[in-house]
Amino acid sequence: MNNSLIPLTAETEDLLEAVRSADILVGIPSFNNARTVGHVVRAVGAGLAKYFHGHRAVLVNSDGGSTDDTPAIVANTMVDLDPLFISDRQSTLHRIVTPYHGIPGKGSAFRTIFEIARRLKVKACAVVDSDVRSITPEWMELLLHPILKEGYDYVAPYYRRHKYDGTITNSIAYPLTRALYGQEVRQPIGGDFGFTGELAQHYLEKHVWESDVARFGIDIWMTTEAITSGAKVCQSFLGAKIHDPKDPAADLSSMLRQVVGALFALMEAHAPTWIPVTDSRKVPLFGFQYEVGVEPVNVNVERMVELFQLGLTDLHDIWARMLSKDALDQLSSLRNVPLRDFRIPDSLWAQIIYDAALAHHRNVLPQEHLLKALTPLYLGKTASFVLDSQGLTTAEAEQLIETLCRTFEKQKEYLVARWPQSHDSREVIEPARAKSERSEP
Amino acid sequence: MTSSWEHTLLGPVTALGERVFAILPNVLAMLILLLVGLGAAWGMGHLMERLLRVIGLDRLCDRIGIAAALLRGGIKADPSYIIGRITYWLIVIFATTASLGALDVAPINEAAHSLLSYIPHLVTAAVIGIIGYLVSNFVSQAVLIAAVNAGLPPARWIAAGTRWGIQLLTVAMAFEQLGIAQHIVVVGFGITWGGLVLAAALALGLGGKDLAKDFLERRLAGHSRSQINEDLRHL
Repeated sequence: MNNSLIPLTAETEDLLEAVRSADILVGIPSFNNARTVGHVVRAVGAGLAKYFHGHRAVLVNSDGGSTDDTPAIVANTMVDLDPLFISDRQSTLHRIVTPYHGIPGKGSAFRTIFEIARRLKVKACAVVDSDVRSITPEWMELLLHPILKEGYDYVAPYYRRHKYDGTITNSIAYPLTRALYGQEVRQPIGGDFGFTGELAQHYLEKHVWESDVARFGIDIWMTTEAITSGAKVCQSFLGAKIHDPKDPAADLSSMLRQVVGALFALMEAHAPTWIPVTDSRKVPLFGFQYEVGVEPVNVNVERMVELFQLGLTDLHDIWARMLSKDALDQLSSLRNVPLRDFRIPDSLWAQIIYDAALAHHRNVLPQEHLLKALTPLYLGKTASFVLDSQGLTTAEAEQLIETLCRTFEKQKEYLVARWPQSHDSREVIEPARAKSERSEP
Repeated sequence: MTSSWEHTLLGPVTALGERVFAILPNVLAMLILLLVGLGAAWGMGHLMERLLRVIGLDRLCDRIGIAAALLRGGIKADPSYIIGRITYWLIVIFATTASLGALDVAPINEAAHSLLSYIPHLVTAAVIGIIGYLVSNFVSQAVLIAAVNAGLPPARWIAAGTRWGIQLLTVAMAFEQLGIAQHIVVVGFGITWGGLVLAAALALGLGGKDLAKDFLERRLAGHSRSQINEDLRHL
């Protein structure tokens, strides 16, 4: 009997019928990744053979209609185990290559992967990006072992990245997630995760697949849902993250809209969870940490500041509707400031993000406009970070991000005080806040 | 002689008096209808506003985003107040038309009939005007944000052009609905819009060919000269 929650192709149904069940599933979402996906498949195959040779494993490629040979490469790539000293030849890696349905995007691809995980009743899942060039077989152990052997429900990645790599993560996703939910997940939108079969089913049952979650919002949504559902979360050190440049057609304001839109929508859904949280705690980190060489990143700071100044002139009226007067006055003082003196301080940035979250909650502007109007502000903050971290090592730059996170945590009171709360939620939240404050050392 | 004078002088006065006496009940009826109508309009308008406030229309509009859409369109009044005012003016128009009909004068009757048959056009034109105004504000705001994010310095001009273009189209459609100088409006709109497009094409071709080249490079090759030295990864 077909008990699919979402439609799957007839070929996929036949394959599911043949495989019936599995212990481990590794999902690879893809779209025109012929250059890199072969390497990812070889790493996954070798990793599963080396570290999980007694388990039934399935590799699922959920493809968005690639016009290159991505699906054929996934189906036909052979993994040569001899040079890796892997002697186990008993295990068979089943492969399911399937198109996904729904809004084109990574989230829709994941939805199909979750459905296949549910149908095969897998114990542990991992998802890895198809454009990662730095993946090794060890990633499989690092993402799946905490689930199968250590009792964790969700494994977030922990990478060594260039100080200018992942700027949305560094300036918004990480500080905001940490301040809201109190867990220091360093790469909440990393893209490579491990999780239990139960959590995959939990994701599948949520009605979010017509929103930004179906696109770039999927990563922050998975992490936040894991935290708020009470799942046991850890991190695994995966080394460097080197991947192909993102699709050039995916412009910055769309990416920002999808990620920040998902973050703000999650704030609405989980207000009773995050309002009582007053501090953050470390999340366990597995794996042997080492330094890696990272690719240099060229940054055009002048261009970023130009765009910020253009926004300050032309979007002033829109910003006035979404930001507090204090924040707007501070921004206005940056008009025509020379590049060497240009800075958006951490406290102002935290206030901007909290003001934007409040404006989103109060629906003062169309959501698309509000989120896209953040782009020049984000570029201004990124330019500030680049100017502040010039000449610093990656570790020193990390300290700047840590300071930003503490500022977000310190100023959370500002957000909580202004977040409209219903009477019912106050009854839940206020005793929880009091309890949380009492338990502080 | 006396009777002749009486007939000549008093005859018209008597006839006028008879005509006035004949029309007086109609005038009285008109005044009564008008007063009652105005009273009913005032009462119904307030009643409607109160009723809508009691049943929570404003809260509902807040929740589903209509109040925010009105605010974004520059309309600061509550939906309950707006519907109350619309009710008031509709009853005033009906009462005025009915009261004029009470005079039972053929030209006035015809005018009242014409006014009544014109009301649907008036309402349609008003709806077109309101929707056009809201759409022009929404689209011009979206264009402004997109132009700033694309780094186009004349972002305000582009957004203003979009707003005026949509409002011009709206006015043309509303006038056409009202039957005011239909051909002139359509031809005028066509000439203006065509002129704007031609001017924009010439401006882009002559003055902004580098911008157009940059745009096409960005679309087709995925990069622009201004971003060519940047490989920042945001996610």
